Amino acid sequence: MSPTPSHPSRQQEFWSGVRQELPLQLGVAPFGLVFGVLGLAAGLTPLQTILMSSIVFGGASQVVLVQLWGSVPGPVVGASVSMINLRHALYSASVAPYLRALPLRWRLPLAYLLTDEAYAVTINRLRNETPGPFQHYHLLGTGTLLWVCWQITTITGVVFGATIPPEWSLEFAIPLTFIAVVVPILKRRADFIACGTAAVISVIGQPLPWNSWIILAGMGGIMAGWLSLRIMAGRGDA
Amino acid sequence: MIWWVMIFCGVVTFFTRFVMFSDMAPKKLPDWSEDVLSFVPVAVLTAIIVPSVLIGADNAVEITDNARLPAAILAVLVAWLTRSVLATIGSGLAALWCLNWLIF
Repeated sequence: MSPTPSHPSRQQEFWSGVRQELPLQLGVAPFGLVFGVLGLAAGLTPLQTILMSSIVFGGASQVVLVQLWGSVPGPVVGASVSMINLRHALYSASVAPYLRALPLRWRLPLAYLLTDEAYAVTINRLRNETPGPFQHYHLLGTGTLLWVCWQITTITGVVFGATIPPEWSLEFAIPLTFIAVVVPILKRRADFIACGTAAVISVIGQPLPWNSWIILAGMGGIMAGWLSLRIMAGRGDA
Repeated sequence: MIWWVMIFCGVVTFFTRFVMFSDMAPKKLPDWSEDVLSFVPVAVLTAIIVPSVLIGADNAVEITDNARLPAAILAVLVAWLTRSVLATIGSGLAALWCLNWLIF
């Protein structure tokens, strides 16, 4: 693979990832602050709270981990967090065709950086823009910015958390971030069916153990979308 | 104990993200997989959005007396019209604060 002048360079891919990821930090930053506060409130030490953001590096699952910590046995906490993060296997499958040929020294860090917000931005570049020999630098850019922002805001939350009023409802920034990502990619009729199905299952599945509703709703939405795509293709009105 | 739970969760989360990048994953996915995977962002992110808007502190669905719901609907409209991440998050948070301050 020799790059032709028409391909974006390593730097161009990396910085376009950073640039496209930047607006999402308006949602990620408040969430990092909230996590810092919740970690201390759950009885974790500042060091444990801060290191969790790089050891686990998964916003929603970290919040669940600290909320469950102390009220249920450790193995149940582990099962619950694993279930929540199972959706990343779907991201992994979705990105893999573009990255699988890379050497291990690339695949390991890129897998570590494959969070919701980095995936959401980079999958658009991988699917909708011209393939380039350095397209993996795009995920490095989105993932690195997100990682840095998440660490800084976790630390800030730990240090200044006590002064953040809960009525600011900063945790609401995360669903808003995902709304900003999902709404523009709803294009096919099957996308709306996938969205509606996932929404319904995620609500009625709430009583299920270990937060398994999240992976069930994701899988259910994917299946409903795919089935409706096939049915409509069969009828010729996709 | 918390350290062990944390490290366990970190290792599981990492391997969940790595699983399809690994050399053990099938080299070539079936043709239909591209269609299936095209629904991943919409389905999974919706499954995160909806409960965080509708489910309240006591794990019950909150339709009335829930400022998050109108704020989220406004954010969806703004996202639809502007396609701007900043405008979507900004308007949703502003709406939530105004509603909490005025009504709820």
